[in-house]
Amino acid sequence: MKKIEKKISKLLIVMSVLLGVSCEQDILEIEPQDRIVENAVWNDANLIRAYHTELFNGIPHGFSINLIGKYTDEMYNSTPCCGANLFALNTYNPDNIAQVGGGTNLNDFWAIGNGYMYNWDHAYIYIRKINLFLEKMEETDINLPDKDLWIAEAKFIRAYVYFNLIERFGGVPIVDEVYDLGDEVVFKRNTFEEVVAFIEQNLGEAKAVLPVKYGSTDRDYGRPTGDAAQALLSRVYLYAASPLFNSGNDQQKWQKAADAAEALINNGDYSLYPDYNGLFQLSQGDPQNETIFSRGFTSTNGQNFPMDYLNRRFGAYGGWWGSGGPSGNLVNDYEMLNGELPFLENGQVNPASGYDPQSAFENRDPRFNATIIHDGSIFRGIEFEMWISEDGAQWGYDSYKETGDNPRPNTVIKKFVPEEGTINWETPSTVQWIHFRLAEIYLNYAEAKFELGDEATAREYLNKVRSRQSVDMPDIPETVSGEELRQRIYNERRIELAFEGHRFFDVRRWEIADEVEEAPITTIDIYKDMSTGDKRYVEVILLDRSGTFQEHQSLFPIAQDEIQRNPELTQTPGY
Amino acid sequence: MQQIFKILWPDRKGFPAVLMFILLLGFSGYGQEITVSGTVTGAMDGIPFPGVNVIQKGTSNGVVTNMDGEFSIQVSPEAVLVFSYVGFKEQEVQVNGRNQIDVQLAEDLESLDDVIVVGYGTQKKATLTGSVSNIKGEDLMKSQAVNVSTSLAGRLPGLSVNQRSGAPGNEALDITIRGVGTFGDNNPLIIIDGVPREGVLERLNPADIESISVLKDGSAAIYGARAANGVILVTTKKGTPGETKFSLSYNYGITNPTKLPDMMDAALFAEVYNEAEFYRQGRPETGFEPFYSQEAIERYRDGSDPILYANTNWPAVALRDNTPQQRLNFQASGGSEKITYLLSYAGLKQEGNFINQPDNYKQHNIRVNVQAALTDDLTVGANISGIFQDRENSTGADFVSTLQANPTLVAVYPNGLIAPGRFNNNPLLSNRTGLNTTSNIPINSTFTASYEVPFLKGLALDASFNYDLRNQFQKNFSQPYEFHQYNVQTEEYDLRRTEDPVQLTNIYFKETSVLTNFRISYKTLIAYDHSIDAMLGTEQQKRAFSSASAYRRNFVSPAIRQIDAGSTDPDDKNNSGTAWENAYNNFFGRVNYNFKSKYLLEFVFRYDGSPIFPEGNRYGFFPGVSAGWRISKENFMADVSWVDELKLRASYGEMGNDRVSPYQFMQTFQFGNNYVFGGSDAPGIYSSTLPNANITWEVSKKFDVGLFAELWDGLFSADFTVFKEKRSNLLLQRSLSVSHLFGFPALPSENIGEVENSGFELQLSHQHSVGDFNYAVGGNVAYAKSNIIFMDEVPPAEPYQTQTGRPIGSGLYYKSDGIFNTQEELDNYPHGQGAQVGDIKVLDLNNDGQINGDDRYRANNSAIPEYVFGLSTDFSYKGFDLALFFQGQTNAYINDGTLNEFGLQDQDNATVFRATNRWTVDNQLGATMPRANDWQPGTTDFFLYDATFVRLKNLEIGYTLPANLLSGTGILEDIRIYANGTNLYTWAKEITYMDPEMVPSGDSGGTFTNYPPLRVLSVGAHINF
Repeated sequence: MKKIEKKISKLLIVMSVLLGVSCEQDILEIEPQDRIVENAVWNDANLIRAYHTELFNGIPHGFSINLIGKYTDEMYNSTPCCGANLFALNTYNPDNIAQVGGGTNLNDFWAIGNGYMYNWDHAYIYIRKINLFLEKMEETDINLPDKDLWIAEAKFIRAYVYFNLIERFGGVPIVDEVYDLGDEVVFKRNTFEEVVAFIEQNLGEAKAVLPVKYGSTDRDYGRPTGDAAQALLSRVYLYAASPLFNSGNDQQKWQKAADAAEALINNGDYSLYPDYNGLFQLSQGDPQNETIFSRGFTSTNGQNFPMDYLNRRFGAYGGWWGSGGPSGNLVNDYEMLNGELPFLENGQVNPASGYDPQSAFENRDPRFNATIIHDGSIFRGIEFEMWISEDGAQWGYDSYKETGDNPRPNTVIKKFVPEEGTINWETPSTVQWIHFRLAEIYLNYAEAKFELGDEATAREYLNKVRSRQSVDMPDIPETVSGEELRQRIYNERRIELAFEGHRFFDVRRWEIADEVEEAPITTIDIYKDMSTGDKRYVEVILLDRSGTFQEHQSLFPIAQDEIQRNPELTQTPGY
Repeated sequence: MQQIFKILWPDRKGFPAVLMFILLLGFSGYGQEITVSGTVTGAMDGIPFPGVNVIQKGTSNGVVTNMDGEFSIQVSPEAVLVFSYVGFKEQEVQVNGRNQIDVQLAEDLESLDDVIVVGYGTQKKATLTGSVSNIKGEDLMKSQAVNVSTSLAGRLPGLSVNQRSGAPGNEALDITIRGVGTFGDNNPLIIIDGVPREGVLERLNPADIESISVLKDGSAAIYGARAANGVILVTTKKGTPGETKFSLSYNYGITNPTKLPDMMDAALFAEVYNEAEFYRQGRPETGFEPFYSQEAIERYRDGSDPILYANTNWPAVALRDNTPQQRLNFQASGGSEKITYLLSYAGLKQEGNFINQPDNYKQHNIRVNVQAALTDDLTVGANISGIFQDRENSTGADFVSTLQANPTLVAVYPNGLIAPGRFNNNPLLSNRTGLNTTSNIPINSTFTASYEVPFLKGLALDASFNYDLRNQFQKNFSQPYEFHQYNVQTEEYDLRRTEDPVQLTNIYFKETSVLTNFRISYKTLIAYDHSIDAMLGTEQQKRAFSSASAYRRNFVSPAIRQIDAGSTDPDDKNNSGTAWENAYNNFFGRVNYNFKSKYLLEFVFRYDGSPIFPEGNRYGFFPGVSAGWRISKENFMADVSWVDELKLRASYGEMGNDRVSPYQFMQTFQFGNNYVFGGSDAPGIYSSTLPNANITWEVSKKFDVGLFAELWDGLFSADFTVFKEKRSNLLLQRSLSVSHLFGFPALPSENIGEVENSGFELQLSHQHSVGDFNYAVGGNVAYAKSNIIFMDEVPPAEPYQTQTGRPIGSGLYYKSDGIFNTQEELDNYPHGQGAQVGDIKVLDLNNDGQINGDDRYRANNSAIPEYVFGLSTDFSYKGFDLALFFQGQTNAYINDGTLNEFGLQDQDNATVFRATNRWTVDNQLGATMPRANDWQPGTTDFFLYDATFVRLKNLEIGYTLPANLLSGTGILEDIRIYANGTNLYTWAKEITYMDPEMVPSGDSGGTFTNYPPLRVLSVGAHINF
């Protein structure tokens, strides 16, 4: 009996020790291991800095897997991935618009979700982040030496985000305070003019604090400056004066646009980078004096443009993921070296140009070879071969016949692709995305001046762009005027700013989308006679777009469910 | 009560049938010769035992002992008397002409056949009140599928298992119990030997499994906040006292995909591509130059030029015909009265189904289970298992790059050199691209102590300490690789090399779980009639996870595959890491009461606490009650000899579902979304969701009524259950109604949703022996359908679009009505901007003359099957045995988005199924498939297919060598040899082009490019000695 008692007491001791050791009273008191609690953020200068840094993502850069150029006549969109066909064939409407760039995930590889096209959700998320930042900065007691600068930068970003909205949607609701879950708010569209005024106000306040300029090798280069604010203002005013938003052709609006550009041209200390090709291979930190505001990249925070858009030769997926090459439409719009357009408006070859369809790529504006790789181009020491033998049995290595990795149009984008250094999937490119550069300001100025009737100044600034050292195209002669000059201004912008994200919105604000977006996407196929080596150039239609564009599509619709959530929010007219 | 009847007989038509059934129980009648009388006492205490059933075997003739344990019965002198009382061992006594027979009844030590594992304990099947399905380990052994969970499909009524992929060691499974009840995580809680253990069940050695129980109703409430999706309880084997028994088994099998889609050959591919080009170019009347000339198509067809005009059947080239798989199993068990042990080892080697793919999966399972009675009252045990998983594969070969590869591309040149294939991703190159290896080692340990308090019979203390450790080490190595490419100009085969650097990523993670629990239980029988069994316990669990990874590229040489050998340039290095912790704290208990084993009552509860919710909402109370009435024990049933068991039971329980991301009640920020200034990376932080300070559990209330019958001495049994579940507090984001203008990042989950889920389960079985011929047939069918009551839906434009009132996962589709066969048809019907003749005709549902989003309707079904069923048949004759098992589903609909990618610019191949009878300029009127590169306004229901299928899941034929043959050896006890087929044959209603199971759930659409499930043909032997 005693033995048993002894055993029991032993057992009880063991059990109570076990109980005591293992029963933690506060077992549920667990702090998150992989995230920061909000209170910590607003009480730590470094975390506030990190919060502020992240706000810059409110301005999407253009190196998305789907370049905006794919959605207009700059490119042939060879894979209708990720909703791209909605824009290629202009079938976007309130039900499907949010499929393309409608989300909010910056790291979405397929770019469906990063806000770059249907910018609505993305923009308002960043507007709230900025508004929250501005509120917190008013409250904070922490000593932040850069506080005023950060506030000014945040206002610049907010202005840019609103510009991204109005170029897509026209007037949008101005939200300038922070709402919390459960707040009852009735949102209505503000007018386009009201938003412009709001942008103006933000930029004015920012400019008062921001330094005028950072040198391109400065460690702060890439942050907003007074000049960047002025450049944005120039673009905003240009849009505001354009036919889409200025149906009465109010000359005062053009005057504001001209003044904004002029102020930057006169007061800013910028010059055209001599090498047009090299300009688009620069990373942040490289010396240059043309770029006013850009998004930089590093090897750990880089972009994949070369791998998305080059072709099989580089192990890249240009025909598939990038899914496109420059269109024949764009190729045809490059002038000949003599300053004449190869084609007349009626589509016939311009006899004065000396253009020979059978040597389509010769004697073109130097920006052509700087922007587009075509059959016979030499890039990285390699001659590109995009021909097909007359019997169709043989073809060049870069031909679309070789592989789906080679873009169908027999052309590859050269812009933004470095001429040197490693290119592969594991080495992200550090080439910067240019938001504003001097050439655009010149073109803004030329356009505004033209619309104000000052054709001489318009020509002068057009010619400045054309006379860049490496471009050196003949001046636009004084005989070119009126509508013809306007077309030359439009075309200069198309060529100089190709693939930089302007074309899609330009054709809409100019209200020429009904022609441009209806034109078929073409390209030039090259047939080679294998015995003589002679090449034959044949223009082919790749995508028929007739009857697709409707006038109201100059502006984006708001997604249908968003309209249903906001009874007072009006849909873009026409949808 | 009315509610119960409504559920049982929704249309009231079934009611008369039930009445008939009860009336039928009234047959009886027999004669007698002598009178036998005696006293029954308890073996334990010798006290007279009232209420014992005394029945003449094989008849309905029977009596019950009186208050003094006495009985008297008239029987024939040769009769056999059966003495039975629930909870006591049945005794059979030969009368042999005696007039006086005294019997002692012993308490039934739970034999495994009658016992079912439930939460924190076991229960006798007979007195079970909950809805619990159960399967024995030996039934699982009939499947030679490597993944144990796939073997459960169709075996347990109410449990649905869909295998979405067959990748060795990486099968993707959807497991649900009674359909789905939440918009979030519907995975059941899996408890292995008392501990929630994730990712282990699939990899268990089936020979180690004693039984698997599935708790479907309120009885799962004992698992509280994690039980709403049902609970799967797995119990592993223990040793039994006796001489050491060895068993050895070996199985050799070959695997092949169950079904591969027929892909288009080169000529058909070229024709389709040309058609699509024609449409893309606006159907030019003249000057259309096809991508593939007629001559080229001819050459693709006749195969005269395998270099320039290849016709590659990629699956045939890339896949092995018969991929071997081997399994070895060895087990030793035995012990004395004091100590029992089980040692087990299983080895598995599974190879990949691709040629040139170093795709291997190896698994070793070891288990040691020792139970020792240290004293008469104290038993301790240790059950330790380790699963050593090694997976090797390269990233090169998968079914996407195989099935969708352009058939006009060369795979291998006639001289044997390997061509680049699609995107340089020729599956045949996959042994050159590098190697990924994953070593995953979960070690689970359970230590138990149980003490039967000697001074109070029935009082016991149980404690367990469980430590689980999972280490995973993953190495992803990739390198540039070479292939040859035919140069059309030089007619040489150029050697090409990819530009990728040599790079290596090592990922290491460690996950631990410490779980302790203590239970006190008391079990007593008061006056033989009132049985009480009570248990109270507490449990704490703490889990922790941490990971680290390192990356380097630009290795000098691929020869040394270690991080150190990589470049030391800061640009070429990277590393990262993260961690999380989680904990549970809870109290639970159970009380069982029954009166004469006839009226049964059970109460379970759990008071559960979890840190993923805010302090005020951290604890929840989850009760469950159930009751049973064993009608067959009633006196009026005593004469109904052919009814062995008839039990009516009902249960109600409340459970929670806490499978949501943690800390949603706090505003938190993550590192990331960096930006660049001056060419340098600047760190960013961002918050991904708004906080919800009030977040708490999802609550499930389950109501369940069942009827169980066993008739004619086990010849026939039936189990019918109906259930209704109401889920409330469902965590949903209010994003459907909250405007994006607020600028909230992802909204937090809020407890706003409400879903009902109801259905039934029916299980029937029949077994019989005719001479040496034995057979058993068992079938089950389960139905479950959810119905959304509230989900914060944006009021849709049209009433037929509401998701509320429809099942979870139902998609929005345009209604298709064939295709526009002629231009006339197109012109005369509203169509979307972009529609051409040959496209799918979409109905203008709201008749407003245009096709837009308002014309979509909400389907009334989803990819989740409403009916799942299984049918098993077992036959044996002398030494031969044969088992067939069928399994299937119906009322599931799958939208395969990939199927319609056809003739697109990306030159992906498509199925013959899609190409057959498509609309072309030359095949307009009779066309049943839309044109190449067709246009749709959005997702239409044209490719929404009925995923009904019936599968012959297992077929096994075995032969056990006659005992007299082996007796001479003196060692061998028995030998069984068998041949087995798993996933042998599938009949599918509409999805005939691929395995009908192989689709993701939800409305995300499906794809035929997943790794298909595998068919396994194998032979094996099992030896006991």
